[in-house]
Amino acid sequence: MMVRSTAEILVFIAFIGAQTVAGQSWMTQTGTVEFISSVPFFTFTGTSEHLTGVINLADSTVDFYVDLSTLKTGIGKRDKDMRLSLDIKEYPFAEFYGKLITDFDRSIPDGQAAMVEGVFTLHGVKKNVRLSGVLQLIGDQLVLDAGWDLNLEDYNIVPPKLLIVKVDEIQKIRITATLDPMNSQ
Amino acid sequence: MKQFSGIKYRPVCLFLFLALSIGAGTVQAQIPRRLVDPGGPVDELFLSQNIVVTSSVSNLPAGNLNFTIMHVFGRVDEGVQSLWGVDGPANIRFGLDYGISDRLSIGVGRSQFDKLYDFRFKANLLRQSKDGKMPIELALKGDMGIMTESNGFEFSDRLNYLGAVMLARRMSDKISLQVSPMISHFNTVSTEHNGETDMHVEEKTHFAVALGGRILVNDRVALLVEYIPVFGDRTTATENAFAVALNIETGGHVFVIYLKTSDYLTEQHVIARNSEEFFRGDFRLGFIINRVFSLN
Repeated sequence: MMVRSTAEILVFIAFIGAQTVAGQSWMTQTGTVEFISSVPFFTFTGTSEHLTGVINLADSTVDFYVDLSTLKTGIGKRDKDMRLSLDIKEYPFAEFYGKLITDFDRSIPDGQAAMVEGVFTLHGVKKNVRLSGVLQLIGDQLVLDAGWDLNLEDYNIVPPKLLIVKVDEIQKIRITATLDPMNSQ
Repeated sequence: MKQFSGIKYRPVCLFLFLALSIGAGTVQAQIPRRLVDPGGPVDELFLSQNIVVTSSVSNLPAGNLNFTIMHVFGRVDEGVQSLWGVDGPANIRFGLDYGISDRLSIGVGRSQFDKLYDFRFKANLLRQSKDGKMPIELALKGDMGIMTESNGFEFSDRLNYLGAVMLARRMSDKISLQVSPMISHFNTVSTEHNGETDMHVEEKTHFAVALGGRILVNDRVALLVEYIPVFGDRTTATENAFAVALNIETGGHVFVIYLKTSDYLTEQHVIARNSEEFFRGDFRLGFIINRVFSLN
């Protein structure tokens, strides 16, 4: 009888644990990544609607990636330049894996400043980074908005040239996503 | 009830415990990285929308506008006195093409010779896929030219047409090949007589099969070759057109430098009105500048 009770308790604990983790996890596959590149006299924007990621408030894990081939700048030839510069055949993803290092209070309806710390990987180069953004719980969805400056040189990326004009090394990155609770997917 | 005795019940519960624990644990692990479209279309079979004179299967992305300047000089065998044809009579065509979708583009152009305006479309019916499920690229092209030279012709007499089916395949990272059966038609042609003998007979309709190939030297430079044999009846003294070209891509530009037969710049004219034979030394130097803009 004691054996049976112990086993039942283990199952119950595991089940509750799984529910707790699942209940605090949100996921998206349709987030937006946008980068703004500058060249002398004008700027252009690249966008992907395929940002995929999970935020798990139970263990503070934040995991995002984007298939770089989905980034579009509006001109096919420029997209090709970008793909060549990023060497996406060899390194098809840009990704972040880390932890949320600020508290998030689910009872607050407004957006809350959030900071993550982890490894950002691009072009095969891994960098420890600390990024800030805003998290907001709207209904049962978690909304993310974050931005930072990315230096191409840090990731051994040679900025492409448009004729003789070189694209600026600093790229302004912005990600926005509405994440759905994972237990509803 | 027997199966729920303590001995058998415990392994079941332990299994559930492990399954639930692992199940919960996978949420914390990195999510698997997946490409959005691993079987999508292969990258550019050709760097530009043309091989040299003939169209390639490559089409403009939706919302992209391509401005083209095609220029051909006189014959190289005119020698140094005319700077190998640069001083000779030249033909030039300005063109605009627009990608309505990733598979359909329309365009208009104007050539100096015959003061020719041409209107065209290109539609990709099949796209070669990266996963090999679709091994070829298939596209159609139509072009209608209107000669506007002042010569007293009726409007319908001024029209000429081209229809082409383009079959292509990127054979490897470096090599793409294309075969294009095509037909050209002129509503009006002329025949010159010398007494009772026809000296020069122009055919209204020509059939040809254009063969094209590309070798990528690197990601931005390619060598191209093009041969357009004509089959069946042909205009007197018409030769099969031939061309070689060098493509150089820099950002939104594709520059093409070529050696080709014929001073015409539209396919229907090159098929029907080329009297130059490349390997006799009858060829011309020319260039094409393509510039792509986004209207998105």
